[in-house]
Amino acid sequence: MNRREFLNASVGAAWLPQWARAAGAPSPLLKGKAEHVISIWLGGGMGQIDTFDPKRRGDPLKKIAGSYYDSIPTAVSGVQICEHLKRTAPLMDRVTAVRSVFHDVIDEHAAATNRMHTGRSVSGSVAYPSLGSVVAHERRALQDGVPPYVLIGYPNVTRGPGFLGSRAGYLYLTDTRHGPAGLSRPEGMGADRQARRDALLADLRGQGAEVNDARLRDYEAAIDQSIRLSGPDFTRSFRLNEEKATLRESYGGEFGQRCLLARRLVESGVRFIEVSHNLNFINGTGWDVHNGGIKEQHGLIADLDQALAALITDLEAKRLLDRTLIVITSEFGRPPEFDSGGGRGHQGRAFTCVLAGGGLRHRGAFGETDELSKKIVHDPVSVPDLFATIHAAVGVDYTKNLYDGDRPVPITDGGRPISVLFG
Amino acid sequence: MCALVSPNVVTAAPVARWDFGEEDVSRVVPVGAVQRDAVGPRPPEFPDFEINNTAAQFAGVGAHFALADTGTGSVLDFTNGDAITLEAWVKVEDWRANDTLYVIGKGRTGAAGFIADNQNWALRLRAIGGQFSLNFLFATTRDATASKKDAHWHRWTSARGFGPNTGWHHVAVTYRFGEPGSIRGWVDGKLQPGSWDMGGATTAAPVVDDDAVWIGSSMKGSASASFRGAMDGVALHRDIVSDAELKTRYRRVGGPVLANAAPAAPVVMPALGVLPVGRVLATFYEGMPAHDRWLLATEKLPAENARWMGTEFLLPRLPQRFDEWGIRASWQAPVLARLAADVALPAGTHRVVLRARGLTRLWANGAVVATTRAQKSDSGGHDPITRIAAPPLPGLRSVIFGIEEVFGEVVVPASGPVRFVVESLVGGKRYRPEPGELTVAVQTPDGRSYAVLQAGGAASGEPVALTDAAVTAALSRAEASLGALDDATRRVGGATQTSFWEDRHEAARQWSQRQPRLVVPAGPAHPIDAFLAAKVAGAERAAAQTPLAEAQKFHEEVLPILREACFRCHGEKEKGGLKLNTRAAALAGGESKRPAIVPGQAAASELVARIKHPDEEERMPPTGDALTPAQIAVLAAWINAGAEWPAPPLPPEIITPAPVLGDAAFLRRVYFDTVGVPPAERDVRSFLADRSPDKRERVIDRLLADERWADHWVSYWQDVLAENPSMLKPSLNNTGPFRWYLYDALRDGKPMDQLVTELILLRGSEREGGSAGFGMAADNDAPFAAKGHVIATAFLGIELQCARCHDSPYHSTKQRDLYALAAFFARKPVTVPNSSVVPAAFFEKKARESLIKVTLPPREAVAPIWPFASLTGVTDDASLDGLLRQPQDKRERLAALVTAPANTRFAQVIVNRVWKRLFGAGIVEPAHDWEGRDVSHPELLAWLAREFVVNNYDLRRLARLLLTSQSYQRAATGRNLSAPAAQRFFAAPEPRRLTAEQVVDSLFAVAGQPIDVEEITLDGEARRPADSFISLGVPRRAWMFASLSNERDRPSLNLPRAQLVVDVLEAFGWSGSRQSPRTDRESEANVLQPGVLANSVVSLWVTRAAVGSELAELAVNAASPEALAESLFLRFYGRWPSRAERLAVVRTLTPGFAERVLPSNEVRPVPRWPALPAVSWSNHLVAEANSIKLELEQRARAGPPADPRLRPAWRESLEDAAWGLINTREFVWLP
Repeated sequence: MNRREFLNASVGAAWLPQWARAAGAPSPLLKGKAEHVISIWLGGGMGQIDTFDPKRRGDPLKKIAGSYYDSIPTAVSGVQICEHLKRTAPLMDRVTAVRSVFHDVIDEHAAATNRMHTGRSVSGSVAYPSLGSVVAHERRALQDGVPPYVLIGYPNVTRGPGFLGSRAGYLYLTDTRHGPAGLSRPEGMGADRQARRDALLADLRGQGAEVNDARLRDYEAAIDQSIRLSGPDFTRSFRLNEEKATLRESYGGEFGQRCLLARRLVESGVRFIEVSHNLNFINGTGWDVHNGGIKEQHGLIADLDQALAALITDLEAKRLLDRTLIVITSEFGRPPEFDSGGGRGHQGRAFTCVLAGGGLRHRGAFGETDELSKKIVHDPVSVPDLFATIHAAVGVDYTKNLYDGDRPVPITDGGRPISVLFG
Repeated sequence: MCALVSPNVVTAAPVARWDFGEEDVSRVVPVGAVQRDAVGPRPPEFPDFEINNTAAQFAGVGAHFALADTGTGSVLDFTNGDAITLEAWVKVEDWRANDTLYVIGKGRTGAAGFIADNQNWALRLRAIGGQFSLNFLFATTRDATASKKDAHWHRWTSARGFGPNTGWHHVAVTYRFGEPGSIRGWVDGKLQPGSWDMGGATTAAPVVDDDAVWIGSSMKGSASASFRGAMDGVALHRDIVSDAELKTRYRRVGGPVLANAAPAAPVVMPALGVLPVGRVLATFYEGMPAHDRWLLATEKLPAENARWMGTEFLLPRLPQRFDEWGIRASWQAPVLARLAADVALPAGTHRVVLRARGLTRLWANGAVVATTRAQKSDSGGHDPITRIAAPPLPGLRSVIFGIEEVFGEVVVPASGPVRFVVESLVGGKRYRPEPGELTVAVQTPDGRSYAVLQAGGAASGEPVALTDAAVTAALSRAEASLGALDDATRRVGGATQTSFWEDRHEAARQWSQRQPRLVVPAGPAHPIDAFLAAKVAGAERAAAQTPLAEAQKFHEEVLPILREACFRCHGEKEKGGLKLNTRAAALAGGESKRPAIVPGQAAASELVARIKHPDEEERMPPTGDALTPAQIAVLAAWINAGAEWPAPPLPPEIITPAPVLGDAAFLRRVYFDTVGVPPAERDVRSFLADRSPDKRERVIDRLLADERWADHWVSYWQDVLAENPSMLKPSLNNTGPFRWYLYDALRDGKPMDQLVTELILLRGSEREGGSAGFGMAADNDAPFAAKGHVIATAFLGIELQCARCHDSPYHSTKQRDLYALAAFFARKPVTVPNSSVVPAAFFEKKARESLIKVTLPPREAVAPIWPFASLTGVTDDASLDGLLRQPQDKRERLAALVTAPANTRFAQVIVNRVWKRLFGAGIVEPAHDWEGRDVSHPELLAWLAREFVVNNYDLRRLARLLLTSQSYQRAATGRNLSAPAAQRFFAAPEPRRLTAEQVVDSLFAVAGQPIDVEEITLDGEARRPADSFISLGVPRRAWMFASLSNERDRPSLNLPRAQLVVDVLEAFGWSGSRQSPRTDRESEANVLQPGVLANSVVSLWVTRAAVGSELAELAVNAASPEALAESLFLRFYGRWPSRAERLAVVRTLTPGFAERVLPSNEVRPVPRWPALPAVSWSNHLVAEANSIKLELEQRARAGPPADPRLRPAWRESLEDAAWGLINTREFVWLP
């Protein structure tokens, strides 16, 4: 039984592959040196054939399958990417486009989003944690008083902590003009007025009898901590106007600013940051480029390109690139064929996820698909393998179990890291 | 009925035939919205059929019956040389041009593991040229070099067929594979000419594999391939059925109706006789034939299902539909809604406006004066953004999104009553039956306005102008009236069950009389107080026998190690026959016969040997880290000292009753514990002023009779029962919104045994609020096992989570037990899905005996055999039959097994849950998992359970018993939750933080603002059916929220205001996504809790002295800063302030107090946001939809407009005071 058949046979039996595989020769545990993850989510499903796994040009009008755009060479010989990724192309030696990711969820965004965040199919009995929550749970924040996991995007169940509980959950914000919900002062709340409020609150809190129940004391301590966190130290990370104007501009629009914010959060000690690229007002559909949604797809790609290139360059300049793994994922990829409106459907059996920085031995690309990026021909990488690679890069033991109460749950569904990226 | 016979038997009988009668179709599996009791062809029209012949109804979008192939060479496989006949009776009810509707086909299901285009054979109907042609299709192996990409498809289409809306037809094709000339097609017994196209005629063999046969759909359930309508007599033959036979298949009185012969029924205003004066009579008729046309002359108006008396021609929604037991059901759409009244109008010409969502016509005095068009399906998100319509006249209400507006004229020759009738088709097979705002209005005589049409006569109400304010008010009056109608209808349905449950409860009382009597100990007057005092007295006697220090040493140092390391397996369970949780058991040893403990000789004790064992395979405990040397030393020293096991020490603080709460604190606590919100200022004042001795009992009784009791309890059961609805396409273990069933049942005070029974029976609507919604578990491979898990934890205290895949390692429950419950639900034996099987490889690599075991052989069908007789006391035998309506129904048996009086576990589990909710800790902990747990007060629990049973399983009576005890009314200084059962005395209840729902409800309550958020839906236009999109309405209380997550990350799908409230709920431990049942939420304090109270937008909303808020009104009318401060404390904390507190707030409120109210000539009008175009699912993929939502997010952040009467500087001080009051611990913790 080859690897893919094996995975297909075991769909749903969450812990099966690891147990079965463990019979083989144990391989040494891989451990990278990254300390942070910036995970970029391209909601809708990035078409690999139009971005990081380009093929011959197609024609949406004549319904000839193929790429929508021309491709260009990159810093890595033999690796080509889409022409709208021109800023990233010279940096591809810091990047590995994993071109052979696959899963078996196709038509349903919710199910595929679940798969790409938890690495599992839906279970009737276990609410699995997201990748970000697992990393937050395993490695915590680098600094006290800083959340381990921040989401810049909409709150979703599949981004949540599942059975790990709220300590492994995210703090979220939906855009860079506002700080995280619950920790940033409301708009227009001046320092003077806040000081008056704090004084009144201190007065009111001072009146009660002393408490000796730990639960009440814990809540009082949480109030104190919340006042501290809402204060200048942590919320300073969210003040992008402290950055040089030229640097801010180099990152581009709102998505770029989110990436810049992610870098600032890395500096403040946040372990895992998910950044959503959901600038749907560019083309309406976001990356879900059915029908006419594809017409402005190049705008999305260019937006991603600018921010990604700026982030890599900026992290490198701050000597953070080796410590910060950048991951780009989405629900699935898209087929080379065009739909009746000239757009594209969904393709889960072969698509691309991107890794950059994080101290990995990058090679521009890993894995290979056929001439139209429909089928994997070399080095398939399952979603658990991709997750194991990320875990290994950030120093999480990808073979260990987590516990849902008493129940052991392997940290990935038997994933093995892409070993050539290590060492 | 279905019959499958061997292919080599030559017979005229078909290999398979489906008549969709009442008998079980054992081998064909219904998938999606199919039902088998639709009306089939019947006499007199079709004399060959039985009088009550039934057919199958297909709702489309993937609804089908599936028949699995049995493998290579099955009777379902056809290849060259094989003859095939396919035939069926069909009645197409809904289609779009160019649809190809599958009658039956093999292959091309889209199932994994098969090549694409694997159509072995198929019979379809193609909607082309305004008629349905016969269509036979198969595929041959694809040749990659072929020039045409569809060269492998071979399709024969008849030139003619039958027309739309022509009733039942018989269709058939016969063919011999490999002989393209052999094709023959039949419609209604007439041979039809036709031709091959696509890849054309072929002699090549069709694709054959083991893909399934589907009836009614194909291609993964593609909408345009899915049959919408009814089918009967579907048959598959392995021979050519003769011409003679096929000619006689169709017999209709009056001959075939091939073209659309039936004309539309004449457009005549319905004769309704005398109408009620001053009322608009609304009547409703479900099961109309189509959403886009009126009745044909041959069709009859369905029977009336409901009627409602309104005051205006304004219909916000349909009345709720209930099944015969009063449980929410679904309307069978399309529904005809008819509004009629006689309206007094002066002579002359009147302009009227009609606003409606679907096909609608308005009559006045017999003439049609306005019509709107039928609802249309959307483009899947790409519809254009619709600009806000200009109102008919300036200042009036614009038509809302998704509603059509048309104008007409009514000529009234002479003053007097004019009869108006409006008929509107609401919903359809692909639309939810939600009318939006069906409105008829007439221009006022001065020509400057419109007024909503009202019935004439003395009883008519105030005129309702077509303005936002007046219409909104009229809509809420209509909503209240419809709500009252719903309650009445539901209670009539519920009353049909009353005598059954009275009998059951009488039987329960008789059962209880046969049980040993339970005696309340002497002591305090209230039985609960007496039971608790008795335990204290007994414990004091036992503790007196050991010096305190010695007892403390054992219980604080030794026992915790044993409990942590050993009791999971040797205590709660009995691994190796060994228990270690009492001294006697430890000395006796287990199966090995070696005593675990030899007092005075640690070295000879097996326990010490095993915890020190160097071999990991032998060492105990078997999982996790080994004990530390220090822990081992403690145990060894204890054994060497004689291994004494003294009774627990009794520090005075755990047995001394805490003081009884003062009146204010009691009132606040009892409000939260019954109605979930704090008392209003006036309630506090009057309660504190009341001097009567029984005022606590009276307030308890008043609150228990308050319907908000249901609001308070729904959220608890939502968690425990894993209610997990989704606004859109169910996935991630979603259920239906059975919150509505729970809410109705709690409001109606249904006894708990009835509630649980109706829940288990899965009645009513799955996606629109019936208990059937509990049965759903989307994307779950064993939904009934999931439900078995839920009911076992919820009602029996049995945790079966592990049993999904294997026997429970730390419990005695087996995998078989869980699937037995599933089998009761399924009403037949079930097998464990492959995805829940532990692979053999797991066990092979384990050297030590695995903690987990699988005693259920894979693929064994598990029968519905009650697994919990010994745990619960109830056995599944004939003695149960008296409790059942249908003793043979396994699902009903399960309900009775759970709720029978003999099941003493059920009553005790419910009692313990209520106790835990009111005292903060259970008599048994945890409340959902009792196995191996000690009961802190077994006699009390048994007595309470008995009281519960003999008092009709009435939750409120149970709550009353608890609330009236002194023990409940004591200060919250308890430490029971963390104490072992023996040390739990309930000398005081636990300190409790408000639940998330209580926090949110309190915030809005103290502000005196309604929760003002969007309707919880992504399809406000009702353009999608309930199986994919639902509306959960506009939340009024916190429990009505749901997960807003849609995993799509599109700004256009955000509900900005609702999301802000959900943020607060989630910070306090609520989750709208309840994938598993949950009794105890996370209770640890975290920084986001005070964070959202201090900084969130909701905090900004509720602390603002907003227009129309009670807070603003209070401020405007306050007599002095002192009086205002007192009011604030009464409002926010339900008590008077202390002197220092009053001073702190007065200091804030005093500057500018005298001038706080602006002179009326300085009051500026409240600014209003300009309206924005609506965003719904239909247009959410348009770029602008995202910008609109971002703008709405911004507006939500800005908060409500402030009351313009208050001077801003002073108002801010008031808001600071309100902010301070919600940010203390006191605001979110119960007294």
